[in-house]
Parts: sequence; structure tokens; C-alpha cells
Amino acid sequence: MIDLKRLLMETDFDALKALLQKVEGFEPIEVPGLDEKINHLSLGVNSAGFDRWGMHPETLRKFAPILYWFYKNYFRVEVVGAGSLPQGRALFIGNHGGQLPLDAMMAGLAVFLESNPPRLARAMVERWIPTVPFVSGFFTRIGATIGDPMNCRELLMHEQSVLVFPEGVRGSGKLFKDRYVLQRFGTGFMRLALETKTPIVPVAIIGIEETYPSVYNFEKLAKLFSAPYFPVTPFFPLLGPFGMVPLPTKVFVRFGQALHFEGDANEPEDLIREKVSVVKERLAEEIKLGLDQRGENIFMGPKK
Amino acid sequence: MTKPTLLITGASGAISRLVASAISSKYDLVGVDPRPLPSSSHFPGTFYVADYHSRKLDEVFKAHRYDLVLHLGRIRESQKYSPQYRFQMNVIGTQKLLDLCKRNGVKNLVVVSTYHVYGAHRLNALHMGEDAALRASHSFPELTDAVELDHAATTFMWKNRDIRTTVLRPVNIIGKHVRNAICTLLRSGVCPKIVGFDPLMQFIDEKDMARACILALEQTFPGVFNVAGEGVVAYSHAIRLAQAVSVPIPPFITSGVVRILEGLGHFGFPPYLMDYFKYPTIVNDDAFRKTFGYLPKVKTVQSLQNLGPLSERKYLTSSVTDETV
Repeated sequence: MIDLKRLLMETDFDALKALLQKVEGFEPIEVPGLDEKINHLSLGVNSAGFDRWGMHPETLRKFAPILYWFYKNYFRVEVVGAGSLPQGRALFIGNHGGQLPLDAMMAGLAVFLESNPPRLARAMVERWIPTVPFVSGFFTRIGATIGDPMNCRELLMHEQSVLVFPEGVRGSGKLFKDRYVLQRFGTGFMRLALETKTPIVPVAIIGIEETYPSVYNFEKLAKLFSAPYFPVTPFFPLLGPFGMVPLPTKVFVRFGQALHFEGDANEPEDLIREKVSVVKERLAEEIKLGLDQRGENIFMGPKK
Repeated sequence: MTKPTLLITGASGAISRLVASAISSKYDLVGVDPRPLPSSSHFPGTFYVADYHSRKLDEVFKAHRYDLVLHLGRIRESQKYSPQYRFQMNVIGTQKLLDLCKRNGVKNLVVVSTYHVYGAHRLNALHMGEDAALRASHSFPELTDAVELDHAATTFMWKNRDIRTTVLRPVNIIGKHVRNAICTLLRSGVCPKIVGFDPLMQFIDEKDMARACILALEQTFPGVFNVAGEGVVAYSHAIRLAQAVSVPIPPFITSGVVRILEGLGHFGFPPYLMDYFKYPTIVNDDAFRKTFGYLPKVKTVQSLQNLGPLSERKYLTSSVTDETV
């Protein structure tokens, strides 16, 4: 009984890593400058190691190598335009697609690794995420928050950068035929940007929208799991868990020039929508540039 | 010059005793509680045993003239009392107390509510301000009394502006002497954890809570205020810090099943608090910090570890006289 208790208490990721290291040929992945970058974030963690929004740098430290492996080796992410990011807080606006929030993870990592000084782009996640076991806790630990305007406002007021996908589930659940076609944008982000005078940075994420080529949204099953959509791809659910492996596409993350808007956060909706359409157009242009950069081959990208 | 008189309800409870021992030199203290004082404990003033909704409370108000009232006497969520009894005590009792305060010229009133009134819900913003919707009674009618108590106090505050009323909504209060649901759970050494859910939680140490009560009593800023400790902690971390072991329970378990298990024997958390172990319910206490100059002194890690090793906890002494706030 006592041994069981000890086992339960000591089981964590370190044990798993130690076990994996015993397996021959396993090389631990090093994220360049990880500790330095995390320390630079100056998150103001409390005695238990959590920041104000439940971000837990230790969890990031533990899981960064896995995320980095996907970033570097699996999706071979190429970042364009990180040099021209504005100083201080920013509101990153990205295109959403590919069923799972891989786009948020890759764009978030790109911001974390490539921007100088390093910063955390806190992703605003779907409201149904808290009901999904395991996922919501992990997302919170690595810096994501529920996409509530109050959370976004508070983050920006505390000089934090935020990553928003104004397409919401309309974007992440889109079918393969609609890839890179921007769906209707929500307008909340623009009001928050005006209120907090935060620059908006369009981020085009190329490649992720092809990872799960959904051909059909099985709405009845989605309803059963109370999920916003249930994708059917040529591999899923046909191949079961193997069908859940994302296709190894070549990914580009392109940061556009920062956009500064001025005005009243309480303007009527049509005026806000005009400003939103400016962002949408800029993002669409950035996507176009990204798609041209990638070329025909979605797996290998341009010929070297 | 005579000292002002302070009435403390829930005077047998841990926080009341901490408050009382800290300020006994400044005030004439009167304590009232439906429970008798723990045998090893001493109240530095007059102590009455009385139900808040009974005639006896009138007698308590006839015997003294109070300048300040600290209403800590909310019966916490527990299986020991039926919801009907809790409603009587918490809602009818509080209404009676408020009425007596009004009729007897009380100047300062502090009512201690709970963060539970916000309700654990997947749609909650991460940091809920005092104006967030109170969702508690949505999913669990057992929490109705907590919400109603809060309503009664805030309504009273707006209607009777001459009585300076402060309503505090503290997060989970933990400490050596506290015996609420969360403390009992963490102290038991075995904490059920819903698989895949590890919500953020907030804790406030009993000493910080006592300090917050005193601040609210002595400074006069009417209003509703969230009161929190140092910051947020994931439930799994709290379990580890309290040197307890988490026992995974399947996510599809319903409150009905928990209720049956609870009936069979002691099973950690009360069924109607289940959602608080699933979704984070985090409050923003910036307003309290700014208005009252409050800063929690006890680190969350420290107070979780101070629940002490299991073997020692079984023989808890109830004396708080050696504690300083």
C-alpha cells in the first residue's frame, strides 16, 4: 500500500523521460535557449510556480522539447517577418484551420522562439475546451486561456500578448475544399485592441490547414460528443487512432506588418466591422504570399 | 473611554477565534454560535450559544449594544446538515441578524460570503470580478443558501446606506484550525481527482482571512469584495503540496454516484461541489487589495504544507491562543 502511494506520488513526466532515455538511441531534444527564454518572460509566478493566469513555466519547460520536435522535425516550420514585430504587447490575429489547435501551438512557438525579446502569445481557446478531459489543463499550463473578452482585456492590460483566431470554430472546423478561405470574423478583438490601444499583427499560418483534410462534418456525432464539429477525413475515423496522426505538411508562419487602429471601443458595429475587414484583407494577402512561397508541394515546400 | 463592542457570529469557528484573539484588546467582544465552544478553546469575551434564526438572537442583541458586527456564521456546505437546516440558518438567520443590526444602530457590518456563489462553470472568465453572474444554484440547488445569503447581504447594503456594510467573498480558506470541506479533503490524505480535469484553484490562509476580516471591520469601505490569497494553484499541485495522494475517478461519474459513495462512507468532496473540481472558479481580488491595502502574507505553498503530516493532523488541537495574526 505504501509503495503504491509512493508510486502514485512520484509518477510524472520526469520518470517517463528517464525511462525513455534508457531506450537505446533515444536522444533528448534540446530547445535552443529554452531556460533563458522562459526566465526572460518574467511571469511573476507565485510560490507554487503559477502565474496570474495559471501558466506554469515548469510544465512548459517539460513539454517544450516535444512541441519543439513537432515544430522543427515534423512540420519544419519556417518563420517570416519575426524581425519586424512591434515591441511590447501585441494582438496576433491568425487564420484558423485543421481541426486541432496545431496552428495555435506552432504560431505560439514561433512567437516564443523567434521574437526578440521572447514573449508568450497567449492563445484564446474555444469555449468548449474546458469540457474536454486533459486538454484544458495542459493548455492553461502552457499559457492559453478561455476566449472570453474579459480574459483578453486583462491580459492586454497586463502587457501580455494574445493570439486570437477570429474565425473561431467556423475556421478550425472548415472542410478541405475551404482551406485558406477566411470565414466570417468575430469583431470582439477589434474592440479590445481599440480599448487597450494594442497593435494588431496578422499571422498567416500555412500548412496546418491541410493536416487533417476533412471532407465531411458529421454533425450528429459532434452533437453526441457535444463538440462543435466532428471531422471525417480519408483516414479518420476509418484508421482509428492512426487516422488521428496529422499529415506531415511543411508549415510557414508569416508575421505581417503591425496595424495600428484608432477609435472608440464602443463604436457602432458597422464601423468596427470596417476596421475588422482591413485586418481580414491584410491577413488574406499574407496568406496569399505564404501559399506562393510554399508552392505546389504541400509536404516538401519550395524546391531548394 | 469605553471600547467599542463587536459581535462575532460563528464564534466557535477557526476564523472567528483568530480574529477574536487578535483584536480582543481593542474591543469588547461578544461571540454567538449555534455550536458550543470547543472544550480546549477560550473566547476572549462573552459567548452565547444560539441559533441565528431563533428568538435567542434577540436576547443577544438586548444584552449589549453593538457598534460593529462580523457575520462569519455561515454554515458551510457539508453532509452533516440538511439543505433545509442550512437554508434556515444561513438565509433566514442572516435576514434576522441584518434586521437586528438595522434596529439596534450597528455602524459597521461585515458579512463573510463565499466564492462558491459564482459557481463552477465552463463559461466562467478566468478572473471573475465582483459583478460576475452568480451561477452557483444553476447546477446544484444545494448551493442556493449560499447565493441567497449573499443576495440578502448585498441588498441590505444598498438599502441601508447608513450602515457601512462590506460583503467579503473569500476563496477556499485553509489552515490548521479550519474544518471546511476542502481542508477536510486535503487533510484526509486521499483526494479524489476527476481524470483529465485539473482546475486551477485559489486558497487563502486562515491568518490572512482573519486579517482581511479585521481590515474590513476597521476601515469603512462599503461594497462587495473578493478576497484571495497569493495566487492560483492547480488542484493536483495542491494535493501534492498537502502530501496527499490523488485517486483518479472517471470523468463520466455523476454527482448521483458520488452521492451514493458519500452515503456509504466518507468520500472526499461533497457531490454538489463536484464542478469546482472540474472547472476553474477563479476570482479577481484586485479591488480588495487596492481599497483596503490588503496583501496576503502567507504563501500558498506554505499554508498547504502547514496542514501538516497526516499522523499529526488526527490529533488537532483546537486552541488558537498561541497564534498571532
